[in-house]
Amino acid sequence: MRIWMHELRLLLRARLALVALALLGTLSIAAVVAGSAEVDRQRDAIAVIAEPQESDIAAIAAWVDKSKDAGSAAYYSFHPTWDAPSPLAFAAIGMRDVAPFILRVRALGLEAQIYDGDIFNPELALPGRFDFAFLLVFLAPLFVIALFHDLVSGEREAGREPMLCALPGARRLWLRRVALRFAMLFLVLALPFTIAAIHSGAGAGAILLILAAAAAYLLFWIALALLVGRLGWSSVANAATLASCWLVLTLVLPTLAHVTINRAIPVGQGTEIALAQREKVNSAWEIPREETMRRFYATHPEWADSPPLGPEFHYKWYLAFHQVGDESVAGQVRAYRAGLERRDAAARTLGWVLPPVGLQALLTRLAETDLEAQLAYQDRIRDFHRHLREFYYGYLFTDRPFGQEDFARAPRFASP
Amino acid sequence: MPEPASASIELSGVSLSYGAHRVLDGLALRVDRGMIYALLGGNGAGKSTTLSVLLGFAKPDAGAVRVAGLDPVAKADAARQRIAYLPENVALYEHLTAIENADYLLALSGEPKPREAIVGAFGAAGLQERAWDQQLGGFSKGMRQKVAIAVALLREVPVLLLDEPTSGLDPRATADFNGLLAAVRERGTAVLMVTHDLMSAVDVADRIGFIDAGRIVDEVAAEGAERFDLRALHDRFANDVAAA
Amino acid sequence: MSPTLLIARDELRLMRRNRVAVIAFVLLVLLTLTAAVTAWSHQQGIADLRQRHQTAADSAFDAQPNRHPHRVVHYGTFIFRPLGPLAAFDPGVDAFTGNSMFLEGHRQNTANFGDVRQSSLLIRFGQLTPAFVLQAVAPLLLIFLGYGAIARERERGTLRPLMLQGASRGQIVAGKLGGLGLVALLAGLPAMLGFVLIAGQPGAQVEPMAVIALGYGVYLALWAVLILLVSALVKRSRDALLALLALWAVLVVLLPRIAPDMAGAAVPLDNRLQTDIAVARDLRTMGGSHNPDDPHFARFKQAVLERYGVGRIEDLPVNYKGLLGMEGERLTSELFNRYAAESYDAQERQNGTVRAIGVLSPAMALRAMSMAAAGTDFAGHRRFLEQAEAYRYDLIQRLNRLQANAVIYADDTAQDPDADRRKRVAADYWQAMPDFTFRQPDGLTLAAAALPSLGVLILWLIAAGGGLLFATRRLGAR
Repeated sequence: MRIWMHELRLLLRARLALVALALLGTLSIAAVVAGSAEVDRQRDAIAVIAEPQESDIAAIAAWVDKSKDAGSAAYYSFHPTWDAPSPLAFAAIGMRDVAPFILRVRALGLEAQIYDGDIFNPELALPGRFDFAFLLVFLAPLFVIALFHDLVSGEREAGREPMLCALPGARRLWLRRVALRFAMLFLVLALPFTIAAIHSGAGAGAILLILAAAAAYLLFWIALALLVGRLGWSSVANAATLASCWLVLTLVLPTLAHVTINRAIPVGQGTEIALAQREKVNSAWEIPREETMRRFYATHPEWADSPPLGPEFHYKWYLAFHQVGDESVAGQVRAYRAGLERRDAAARTLGWVLPPVGLQALLTRLAETDLEAQLAYQDRIRDFHRHLREFYYGYLFTDRPFGQEDFARAPRFASP
Repeated sequence: MPEPASASIELSGVSLSYGAHRVLDGLALRVDRGMIYALLGGNGAGKSTTLSVLLGFAKPDAGAVRVAGLDPVAKADAARQRIAYLPENVALYEHLTAIENADYLLALSGEPKPREAIVGAFGAAGLQERAWDQQLGGFSKGMRQKVAIAVALLREVPVLLLDEPTSGLDPRATADFNGLLAAVRERGTAVLMVTHDLMSAVDVADRIGFIDAGRIVDEVAAEGAERFDLRALHDRFANDVAAA
Repeated sequence: MSPTLLIARDELRLMRRNRVAVIAFVLLVLLTLTAAVTAWSHQQGIADLRQRHQTAADSAFDAQPNRHPHRVVHYGTFIFRPLGPLAAFDPGVDAFTGNSMFLEGHRQNTANFGDVRQSSLLIRFGQLTPAFVLQAVAPLLLIFLGYGAIARERERGTLRPLMLQGASRGQIVAGKLGGLGLVALLAGLPAMLGFVLIAGQPGAQVEPMAVIALGYGVYLALWAVLILLVSALVKRSRDALLALLALWAVLVVLLPRIAPDMAGAAVPLDNRLQTDIAVARDLRTMGGSHNPDDPHFARFKQAVLERYGVGRIEDLPVNYKGLLGMEGERLTSELFNRYAAESYDAQERQNGTVRAIGVLSPAMALRAMSMAAAGTDFAGHRRFLEQAEAYRYDLIQRLNRLQANAVIYADDTAQDPDADRRKRVAADYWQAMPDFTFRQPDGLTLAAAALPSLGVLILWLIAAGGGLLFATRRLGAR
C-alpha cells in the first residue's frame, strides 16, 4: 500500500500530470452539468405542456360545442406527444438536440406531420453538444496521451531507466504506474458521471456498463500509448505519433466513413414520402367520394356500416382520404425507415473497428438518444395517432354529437 | 582482508554476441564478499555488457553467471533483490527530496525503512544534514551518489555494481567516494566497479582486472601496504591493450 | 544568401528529412483532396436531387386539374433550398436544417428532412469538407512540423552558436517563420484547388471567395506565428508540443462545443408547441372570419361594401369569400411573421453570444467567417425561410384573389350537385402561378457579413505577432 502512496505522490508532484488531472476533473464536472442542464431544460419543456395545451383545447371545445361536430374537433385539436429523456440522457444528448422531443399531432394524415421538426438553432447544433460522451470519446484520449506518452521514455530521458530496471520487480513498477495513471484518469472521469447518474435514477446495470465501456476505452488508448512507447522513440515523437492516431481515429476516419456510408446506402429522401402522400390526399377531391370510402372500408371494415355520404361535406370522408393517403405510402415509409436503420447499423458495425464510434454508439444507445430511440418515439406517436383516429371515428362514423365533455375523453399520450 | 568466502559474483566462460559482433568472449571473473574489484578497459572492451549480464538485462550465449549464488536471468527478481546498481549518472527524481527519493527507492525494492534509518544511512554515506530535506534539483553527482549508496547500505545488499562512479567527480569528491566504498567493503559487500580511471581503481580496489575484446587479459591483486605498483600497472595496461 | 533565407531553407530541409513529417504532410494533402472531391460531388448530388424534387413539385403543381382556388391553397407547394456553389467548400448548417418546406395556406410549416436526421451517428463526428480540414487538421500538422523550431535549438544548445554565427534573433525567427509559413501555404493549396472547381460553377461569386481565401490564409499564418511563439517561450520541445496540442484542443475542439451550450442557456428559445399555441390564442382574440358577429370582420365587411357602394355581399362584383380569405391570410401571416421574427431574433442573439465567445478562439471566428461568406450560416438559412414565407404569402394571396375574381359568390356558396363543377377554375391558372426561385444574396453582401469575424482573426494575428516580437527580443537571454 505504501508504495502506491509513493507512486501517487510522484505522479501528483509532476506539474503536467497534476494540471491534466485537475483540468480533466473540471471538464468532467462541466460536461455533466451542461448535459444535465440540457436534459432539465427538456424535462421542464415537457412538464409545462399541460397548462397551455388545456387552455388551447378548452377554447376549441367551447367553439366546437356549438356545432357538436366531431370532425371539427378532430380537425382543430392538436394532441401533444413527447419523448421524456431517459435517466442517462444527460450523459449523451445524442440526437435529442436536433430531433423533436415534443410533437403535437392531429387525427389527419400522419405522414405529413411525423417528420416535422422542432425549432432549434442549427448553428448551435453544428459543433455538437458538450456532454459526457464528448468528453469521454474526444477529450479523454488526449489526457491519456498527456499522461502516458512519456511513461518509459520520460524515465529514459531523465537517465533513471537503468537504475529502475535494475531494481527488483521492475516489471511491477511499470504495471503499477500504468494502473495508477489509469485509476486516476478513470476516477476523475467517472466520479461526476456516476454521481449524476445515480442522482437521476439510472439503473445500476446501465451505469456499470457505461463505466466498463469507459474503462475499456481508456485502456484501448493506454494500450496504444504503451505500444507506441515500445518503439523506443523520444517522448516528443511519442506525443506526436499518438496525437496523429487520435486525429485519425476520432476525426478523420469517422468523417470519411460518414461520406462512404451515406453514399453506399442511399436513403430515399423523406421528401419523396411527403410529396407522394400529399398527391394521394389531394387527389381525393378529384375522384368520386364513394370510391375513397370504398377503399377506406376495405381496410377498415369495422366502420363499413356507417350511413352513406350525403351531398354535403362530411368530415368522415375527409379523415378517410387522409388515412388512405397515409396507407398508400406505407411501403415508402418502411423503405425510408429501413434505409435509416441500415445506415445506423453500418455505423455501429464500424464501431467494432473504431473505438470512438463504438463508444459513442454504445453511450447513445444506453442513454436512449440514438436513432433507435427516435424511431421508437415515432412508433409511439404512430400508436397514439391510431388511437386518436379510432376515437374520432367512433363519433364521425356513427354521427354521434361531439360535445364539450367529449374533449376530455380523447386519448392521452402516455410516456413509457 | 576478510577470509575469501563464497564468491558473490562469479562469471565463467561467458560469451555474448550481438549479431556477428562478439562482445564478450569467454569472460571469467570472481568477486568475493568484502572485496572491491575494479574492471578496467577502453571503450567497447565489454565493460557495460558485463554489467548488463550481471543485472540480467542480457542473456549470455554461453558460460555461467552467478550473482549472490543466483542466475540473474532465470531468477531476475531474486537476484536484483541482492544487487544495488549505480549507473554512471545517478539520476533520481528531481522534484522529490533526498529522503523522499530514498524512501521511494526502498519502497520500490520492497524493503521500506523508517525515516530514522534513512537519516542514519545518509549520515554514514556522508550526506550533509541540510541536504536531507532538499529537492534533488540542485544536487551534484557526488551528492546523488551518496543518496544512492545510502539506499544500497539500507538494503544490505551483498552485491554493489558501479558504472564509472568517479567520472566527472572532482578530486575531493573522488576521495570522499573512495572512502565510502571502503566502508561498504567493511560490511562484507562485494563491489564490482567498471571504470577507465586507473587512479581511482588503484586507490580503492582489492583486485584490478583488465578487460579487452570481451575477456580479462590481465588481473592484479593488491599486495602489502603499497597495494599496487602504479607505474608497473600502467605499463601492463598499455601492453595488454596493444597485444590484443 | 541572407541568414533568414538560409535558416528557412535549413528548417525546410529538416522537415523534409523527417519521415513522419513528410508522411503527415502527404496525408493532409490527400485528405484535403478527398474532402474537396467528396464535398464537391456531395454538393452536386444534393443540388441535383433538390433540383429534381423542385422540378417534380413544380410540375405536379402545374399539372393540377380544374380546381377551386381554395383547394390549391391547401394543396400547397413544396420548395427546396438550393445550395450555393460555396457550400461545396463549407456546407455550414446545411445538414442541420431541413432543406424542404411544404407551403400552404393558414400555416407556416417547418423545414424538414435535414441530413442530420437521415444519417448515422457519424455525422456528429464532423463532416469531411475542405473547410473542416483547414480549420482543424491543418493547424495540427503545422504544430507537428513547427513545435520544435526554436525550442529544439535551445534544448540542444544550438541557439547561441547560431547567434554567434552572426544571425540576429529576428533573422532566426523570421527564417523559421518563413519555413513554416511556406508549409502552411502548401497545406492550404489543395483546398484552393477545390476552389478552382467551385469557381467554374455558375453563380460563383468573387468577393466571398476572396474573403474566404484571405481568412484561411490569415488563420494558417496565425497558427504558424502561435507555434513559433510557444516554441520560443518554453524551455523544452516536449513542453512546446504539449502546450500547443492543449491550445489546439481548447481552441478548435473544446470552445466551439462549450460556447453553444452557454448561448443556449443565456438566450432561451421557445419551442414549437409554445409558439403554435400562442399563435392559435392570438388568432382567437383577433377574431375568426367564420364568426359573423366578430367585430373585426364586421368592420371589414362594412368597409368592403362601402368601397363597392353596395348594400349586400351578394351584390358585390367580386366573390366576398375570396376577399375574406385574403384578409384572413393577411392577419395570420402577420402573426406568423411576428412569432417567426421573434424566434429568428432569439437565434441571432444566441449566435451573437457564440460570436462573442468566439473572440477567444480563432477557430470559431474562422468558422463563422467561412459560413457567412459561403452563405451557409444561420443568416443564410433565415434568408431562405424568409423568402419562402414571402413566396408563400404571395402565392396564397394570388389564389385568394383568383377566388375573388374567377369564382362567382353564388356558386361558391351553392350546395347543389353541380356546384362543385361551377366552383372550379381552369387548370391554366396553375401554370401561370410563379415558381419559387431562391435569390442568392450578391457577393458583396456575403463578403460584408464575413468581415467582423475576419477582423477578429486579423486582431489575433496582430496580437500573436506582437507576442512573437516580444519573445524574439528575449531569445537566447536565458
